[in-house]
Amino acid sequence: MAITIALTFLGLAGLAAAVFMEKRFRATYSLEFVFIAGLLVMAFFGDWSSTRTYTAYQEDLSAGGAVSGKIVEDTDRQRKFDRVLTTIAFQWGFAFITADNEISRNAAIVKPNERVLFKIVSNDVIHGFNVPVASLTAEIDPGDVRELWIRAPARSGKYLIQCVNYCGVGHAQMKAWLVVEGEEPTAELDSGGNTDGA
Amino acid sequence: MAHELDHQRMGEKLHWPPENIIGEISLKTLLFSNDYRHIALKGILTALIMLALGGTFAMLFRAELTVPGVQFMGARVYMTLMTMHGMVMVFGFLIPLLISISYYMMPKVLGTNRLHWANAAQWSYWILVAAAVLLVIGRPDFTWTAYAPMSLRVGGDLVWMGYLAILLVAISEFLAGAVLLRGALASRGGWKTMPMMGWSALTVGLLLLVSTIPLGFVGLGLLTDWLEMTAWFDPARGGSVKFFLYVFWTYGHPAVYLPFIPAIAIVYTLMPRFLGRPMWSYWSGVVAFILLGIFAMPIGPHHFQPLYTVSGWYERMIQILTLLVFVPSVLHVFNWIATLWSDPIPASAKRSVPFKFMIASIAFLIYGGATAYLNAQIATDTDFIHNTYWIPAHFHAMFFGFAGQMAVVGIYYLYPYFTGRMYNERLANSHFWLWQIGLFTKITMMFVAGYAYFPRWVFDYLDVPEWAMPQIMLSAGGYLIGLGFIVFIVNVALSARRGKPAADDPWPVEESDAAVPSAVPAQ
Repeated sequence: MAITIALTFLGLAGLAAAVFMEKRFRATYSLEFVFIAGLLVMAFFGDWSSTRTYTAYQEDLSAGGAVSGKIVEDTDRQRKFDRVLTTIAFQWGFAFITADNEISRNAAIVKPNERVLFKIVSNDVIHGFNVPVASLTAEIDPGDVRELWIRAPARSGKYLIQCVNYCGVGHAQMKAWLVVEGEEPTAELDSGGNTDGA
Repeated sequence: MAHELDHQRMGEKLHWPPENIIGEISLKTLLFSNDYRHIALKGILTALIMLALGGTFAMLFRAELTVPGVQFMGARVYMTLMTMHGMVMVFGFLIPLLISISYYMMPKVLGTNRLHWANAAQWSYWILVAAAVLLVIGRPDFTWTAYAPMSLRVGGDLVWMGYLAILLVAISEFLAGAVLLRGALASRGGWKTMPMMGWSALTVGLLLLVSTIPLGFVGLGLLTDWLEMTAWFDPARGGSVKFFLYVFWTYGHPAVYLPFIPAIAIVYTLMPRFLGRPMWSYWSGVVAFILLGIFAMPIGPHHFQPLYTVSGWYERMIQILTLLVFVPSVLHVFNWIATLWSDPIPASAKRSVPFKFMIASIAFLIYGGATAYLNAQIATDTDFIHNTYWIPAHFHAMFFGFAGQMAVVGIYYLYPYFTGRMYNERLANSHFWLWQIGLFTKITMMFVAGYAYFPRWVFDYLDVPEWAMPQIMLSAGGYLIGLGFIVFIVNVALSARRGKPAADDPWPVEESDAAVPSAVPAQ
């Protein structure tokens, strides 16, 4: 984000200076090459930073094994998670099935700080699975299984889970709640967005 | 920097006498003439009607979205308006408008003085009109991306019209691509002196020819799947969603460049005209056009990168190529800033409305384009970017803030050449400020909402402050844009009869404000 903001200001400042400043400036070709070199470094850094983040996430999910596209029955791996929820995304809602085969529609009930594994399937169209409080978004293709994990918030409360792919006329209603149960009173309704610092 | 070939590279014809084409044209000529000026005029006028239509749809659904809760519009009506807004704005307004401006300017600037394969341009226009009619009658609600299998399970009995409209759009754009490519190849003087309008026509012509074939297949495939003659895209009947996504985005991503590249060409063509000096670097612009054309094709999968395992080599390659799009994009912006900064900007440029729009467009390109650095990265895309309002913020900045406003630059610039008169300066300045304030507010609030995970394609939403407040301001920005558009239309309509007659050169380069204005006194 910092690089994006800096780049925006640099570009806008350059444009403003070119239009409004009295003093004129003649750029050289070598300056352009320096700029290109800077962009290449930036692209390299962006790729490295993104790949490092996502690879770390996936390694946490499954050391070396496939993590999506098929169901991986790996009990050792599943032991790494405090809770495994088989999740069905459908037009228009989510159903969460616990290891004890208890089904809850539109509410994933977890404990604070638990590591939760979602095994998500779609039985009709492409759906999205967005958990803002966990900074996580995925798309679910009908026929595939996505495995995603989050660490539940430390604070008890209701946190939004929503579909972010247009999936038909009921898309706007396709929401569920990550219900973090604790001894503390339940927090107020929360979209879990970046603005709340969660 | 100055070069001996600069004069040729700026274009064969930088100035031609204003004409009153609109005042003298008959309806029959406007509709059926193969003269490039008439084809271009018809395209521009139709695109403005499409802008009015698409804008009205936006005003309606903005009214619904301004506050949480259901006001007066159900989900299906909302999604129909949203779908038609997207399709009309992209396929009916933006791409055809910039192509039409290219149809007019290309023969002038390249010195051919005719549009090769004008018959194909004529067919392209009428096929697009047929697509628009089908779209309005069919009223699909599957968004402009028409993701299967959802798009096969929505709408009513007339939804097939939406699929057919997609097929017709593909045929129309294919023909337009052939015309642009042919026009570029007809350029006099060879590659070393071909004006940027020619390089743009070459790049965008090739992109259109290659990318519209998969779009046509999407339209046809959806139609035959819906009729149950085939099962390309429906997994319930053995089809593949992945196949749909790859085919669709082979068009869908280059589609972003279809208005973007001609808009860039307008900057390269008109900036030297307003400044009275050549661009800072010719070859930097040419290389940037070629690189944009190359990078445009393979990176479509970044539009659905949260769908599969995202740390494989293929996904990483897509991520790297997407990040590298920064290089040609910044080369263009660098070139423009270097040109503007090298010598004083003439007073005539500073006071002209199209020049102001051009500077604002570049600012929006920087504002929206810089965020592409985040969008390209899988880690941030799978956080707050994918399918939240962050994405419409990005493409509204690029599509409307830059490409749409550059099309308006083209219209203001060409106005005296089509009407023989100048537009009203005061109204044009009002239009300028209404749009800049409206666009900045709208786009910024979309970024703010997207950063708070506001999802796309919803007609109702939770009543939480980080979502509700941006929506109110977003609507306010949208209505300012609507007001600006009304001012613009009133101006171009009234000035065609009452405007000051244009001088022989409507855009003279004058170093000081004391110089004569660009219109001769009214007779």
